[in-house]
Amino acid sequence: MDLMVVGINHKTAPVEIREKFSFREKQIADANRMLKETTRLKENLVLSTCNRVEIYAVGERDKDHFSGIGNFLSHFHNLNVSDYKDNLYVYKNKEAIEHLFKVASGLDSMVIGEAEILGQVKKAYHGARDSATTGKVLNRLFEKAFNTAKKIRTETFVTRGAVSVSSVAVRLAKKILGALNDKKALIIGTGKVGEQLVLYLKKEGIESILVTNRTFEKAQDLAARFAAAAVPFEDFRNRLTETDIIITSTGAPHCIIRKDEIIALMPKRRQRPLFIIDLAVPRDVEAQVNKIDNVYLYDIDDLQRTVEETYTLRKNELDNCFRIIDDSSERFIQWLASEKIRDEN
Amino acid sequence: MSSLHIITIALSYIAFFVASVAAVLYIIQDRFLKSKRAVMALSRLPNLLFLDRLNYRAIGLGFPMLTLSIISGFIWAEHTRGAYWSYNPREIYSFALWLVYALILHVRLSAKLRGRKVAQLSLFAFCMIIFTLFGSCR
Repeated sequence: MDLMVVGINHKTAPVEIREKFSFREKQIADANRMLKETTRLKENLVLSTCNRVEIYAVGERDKDHFSGIGNFLSHFHNLNVSDYKDNLYVYKNKEAIEHLFKVASGLDSMVIGEAEILGQVKKAYHGARDSATTGKVLNRLFEKAFNTAKKIRTETFVTRGAVSVSSVAVRLAKKILGALNDKKALIIGTGKVGEQLVLYLKKEGIESILVTNRTFEKAQDLAARFAAAAVPFEDFRNRLTETDIIITSTGAPHCIIRKDEIIALMPKRRQRPLFIIDLAVPRDVEAQVNKIDNVYLYDIDDLQRTVEETYTLRKNELDNCFRIIDDSSERFIQWLASEKIRDEN
Repeated sequence: MSSLHIITIALSYIAFFVASVAAVLYIIQDRFLKSKRAVMALSRLPNLLFLDRLNYRAIGLGFPMLTLSIISGFIWAEHTRGAYWSYNPREIYSFALWLVYALILHVRLSAKLRGRKVAQLSLFAFCMIIFTLFGSCR
């Protein structure tokens, strides 16, 4: 028997093409059953995420299974698969096994090492198993893929570290302030990155969030969306004593927070640590503020640089990951070979 | 009285040792954070709040022990030598050590200082302990 994967992903096709191939969650069960009925495949499984659509299949040895899968895709999505020959990839046996292991461990993802994909692969597998379109080979292959992903997670650094400006900022906040559930944040100005950061802080269970903006309505608007409180811009300085995290992203052409002000503030705060995240360009906070004891100032470049360093760190770990994948796929191939012999006898 | 003296000394030194380990880690972590070496800061070192509290609490435990040991030392000295205080270097040194830790507790409690400077002070105090130990071993 042959094991194969036919797919399209973020490396081979832009989103305009990927979306044509993608399956909605409700369609997956039907797609799996239809694929099994209309082709001569023994086992099949559809994986569809925003970055990839892949069909894993097991069929009789040396038969043409691609045309069956191609016809199914053309029919299901009402398109002509031969128009997308350059976007589709087909891997067989060893290559297909290694490909799945890479996908499951996040090595084939846009952000290397991301963990979300593993959950998506698991879901796809459970879906197909429930529709009874997987069998001995795919069941074992996917269990093996989950083990390999787990091994990579625990034995390498590839999934460690933060990979977005917001996640870096939140993790730094925890290193400075400890748990965030009794901490207060103040957002000055309304910007996209700032908003994402607020979401992350909420997820960490931050006690309270205040929002201020020169246009008070905008502050109110943002505050309403995040169940936060709005403060008039003229008033925000009075709230600094109780604030643990300040996030600034105003469009002001000059600094709005100065060193002298923070020096005067710290005794009033009983020297409790203060984390200032300056997302604005030009910057909102005087760089000298970082020199004050117990005050930690990060601007957008500092955060961005950390993201890049983490990314480099992850890339360096890839060799270790591939070694683990080689090892796992080698063992799976041996198992597959022994199964083949048993089948053929 | 002599055993109380020795036990309290040992306990206070253990507590001060824990405090100084926390202080060293605090200083390293603080430097990573200040110099924007965030990848290092985000690795396995504990957070600053934890280290600052550990330092403070360990000193908070060690200080009463040190006080007890000095008091019991006075009494012991009175028994053996007939005087509470005889201006020998070890006595003066112990008293100086007591003052330094009292000062640390004072600035930390009154929140005049926190974090890095408290950590530096407690490291300084622990160096004094090491010197006292060497001094008394001779």
